[in-house]
Amino acid sequence: MVNIIEPMTQIAQSVRTETPFEPKEKIFEVRDLTVSYSGDPALRGVSLDVYQNAITAFIGPSGCGKSTFIRCFNRMNDLIPTATIEGTILYHGADLYDDEVDPVEVRKRIGMVFQKPNPFPKSIFDNVAFGPRVLGMEGSMDGIVEKALQNAALWDEVKDRLKESALSLSGGQQQRLCIARCLAVEPDVILMDEPASALDPISTTRIEDLMHELKREYTIVIVTHNMQQAARVADMTAFFSVEVSNGDRTGILVEYDVTSKIFTQPSDRRTEDYVTGRFG
Amino acid sequence: MRVTLQEELDQLESALQEEGALVLRALRGTLNALAQQDAELADEVIAFDDEIDAVYLGIQEGIQSLLARQTPVAVDLRLVLAVLHNNLHLERMADYCVTIAKLTKLVQEAEAAETLIEGFEEMGSRAEEMIRVALDSFADRNLDRAESLVDLDELIDRANRRVVHHVLSLGGDPDKREWGLRMIIVSRCLERIGDHAVDIGEQTAFLVTGEFREFTDASHPVDGTTPRHMD
Amino acid sequence: MSRAMRGRLFKAALLLSLAIAFITLGTLLVDVLQKGLPYVDSILLTNPPSADPDRAGARPAILATIYIGVLLILFTVPLGVGTAIYLEEYANKERWYNRLLEVNIQNLAAVPSIVYGILGLAFLVRGIGLGRVLLAGALILTLLVLPTIIIAAREAIRAVPDSIRQGAYALGATQWQVVWRQVLPAALPGIATGSILSLSRAIGETAPLLLIGALTYVAFDPTLTGSFTALPVQIYNWTKQPQDEFKLLAAAAIVVLLVILLTLNAFAIFLRNRYQKRW
Repeated sequence: MVNIIEPMTQIAQSVRTETPFEPKEKIFEVRDLTVSYSGDPALRGVSLDVYQNAITAFIGPSGCGKSTFIRCFNRMNDLIPTATIEGTILYHGADLYDDEVDPVEVRKRIGMVFQKPNPFPKSIFDNVAFGPRVLGMEGSMDGIVEKALQNAALWDEVKDRLKESALSLSGGQQQRLCIARCLAVEPDVILMDEPASALDPISTTRIEDLMHELKREYTIVIVTHNMQQAARVADMTAFFSVEVSNGDRTGILVEYDVTSKIFTQPSDRRTEDYVTGRFG
Repeated sequence: MRVTLQEELDQLESALQEEGALVLRALRGTLNALAQQDAELADEVIAFDDEIDAVYLGIQEGIQSLLARQTPVAVDLRLVLAVLHNNLHLERMADYCVTIAKLTKLVQEAEAAETLIEGFEEMGSRAEEMIRVALDSFADRNLDRAESLVDLDELIDRANRRVVHHVLSLGGDPDKREWGLRMIIVSRCLERIGDHAVDIGEQTAFLVTGEFREFTDASHPVDGTTPRHMD
Repeated sequence: MSRAMRGRLFKAALLLSLAIAFITLGTLLVDVLQKGLPYVDSILLTNPPSADPDRAGARPAILATIYIGVLLILFTVPLGVGTAIYLEEYANKERWYNRLLEVNIQNLAAVPSIVYGILGLAFLVRGIGLGRVLLAGALILTLLVLPTIIIAAREAIRAVPDSIRQGAYALGATQWQVVWRQVLPAALPGIATGSILSLSRAIGETAPLLLIGALTYVAFDPTLTGSFTALPVQIYNWTKQPQDEFKLLAAAAIVVLLVILLTLNAFAIFLRNRYQKRW
């Protein structure tokens, strides 16, 4: 009698229903971070790890400090005189806020895309070339610009009108231009502060598909008030909430886990209330 | 557009088809074990069910995660719901194969009636055919082919009724009677496998038309020629 | 009174003010043009002044006005824009000395021009001993006009949206690069417009120049460190002459001055329209 049942373990394992997210290398380690404006803490005691080549999302109700938090990663809070930071953020093991560290160098490696597309009032070409030029990057500017626009999925739409004003593009195109601008300086990490909240649904989907592409080469961190977006794109999700004590509102980290867990079986009751839409 | 969603839907569907392939192997194994009264083969079939359960669980978790994260709508949602149902149907089919295998082990020593064994082989082949048709028509979204499952099922139902007749005619020997009873259960298992295949066909109809309905109404048995369309 | 009635009355009052302004200005202009236009000829433009009205021209005055204009641009624009950049981009606005600076500038813009004339006489002409020369005149007018340019430049710089700066910083630009490559280019139309308007005001100023000693009769071409006169002063001089022909010549010189000013203003408007950014 021929045994028609092959060893089954291999087959069962090859039947994939979903590619599970396996956290690999840590790129950021945040330890007990507190950000205050003029002495009032806006965000307190945050600790988490951001993983390489993953999309990490920060979600939570308004005022929970998620935008403040993401701006710590590229030292943009340095530009606000009243902001002070306690705690540490390690980037590839090195302290981001060490006295010896140059914020300009940080921002070259850790780029940012903003909520409202903010193209410079220059031509499309000059927008993308701005970063490489101010940083003194070597190489042909034409090549750098084309590569960045390709990676931002915008090249085909603008290749014939690079000299036109960037302001003539649609909202979705402008945002992809801002992404291209960011990619042109060859960063390690891309921070996105509500990147699609000012865009229509089709443009939003394009940006989300783009993020999926980009995470192969870059690490992406996004802040979004649209938790469905976080559910769709993020590998890891962090839920922040507001703690009220004596009339002071401070942001805190409630839960940080793999996205499917946050949206199917969150550990914290507050997280569940938020994602089910029952609060916040 | 929505690359991630599409990838995950494709993965779920192909996992389902793989599960179907595994069920077919289990069925063929259990039929062979039955025909040859091979207890060892029957044991293998029973052990094999663990693997099918693992795939079943994987698909279940995949569906939960996909619904939570991607919020599919329209045809995508119907696809996920259809996969959810079909996953269950396939798992039940696998369980019936296990039942048949266990029964085979129980009656290993008994003397088998030749005609009945041939009958089971025929029923089994029919069931195999139905599973293939069900899975293929689901993959192709072929409504007509899915509806043809009703006719195939009718043949199994008739064969089931013949088995009952035959067992009743086996005579008074207690060993033979015990064997006959067990065989009625085997027959019923094969008949139920056929029913689940029809159910898979109904999921194809749901996916394509959006209507969730039974192909045949229990109180209005089909005469075996034309399936009823309820538009 | 019904609301509609009040609305109509208000509108009528506005139209009336407009009409008064127009008619007054119009009458003056027409008068000047009527009297002066026939006398605008090559003699006026190329001859030095003389006691003979038929041969009198305003060449030294015109040249001096042009030189003053150029010097004004050279002095005021870098100083004014530089100050504006410091105040807007670098200064910590909470500090008391910066706020003091700001108030100071606002006040200076309102000081009457004759006070600048006295200032110039005391410090430049006598104090450091420059003497009654073109350079002194240009320096005084610089001081007069500087506050206005600073204010205009600050407005233009403030109008550049902060999102542009944030975007530039986020790409790794230093503060200097952000200012030089993004803020200034974007603010340039506004700065240019403000500068040209301030400039045209300065060109028409008579009082400070008189005080620091612009002569009323200069027959030679002006140099930086020599005695000088300017077009407004020349006009003033000619109107004081007894002969009627000189009054007509004055009208002609006024026409020339008006042409210069209107051209400058038109250029400012052109610049503003051409480069107006829509954010």
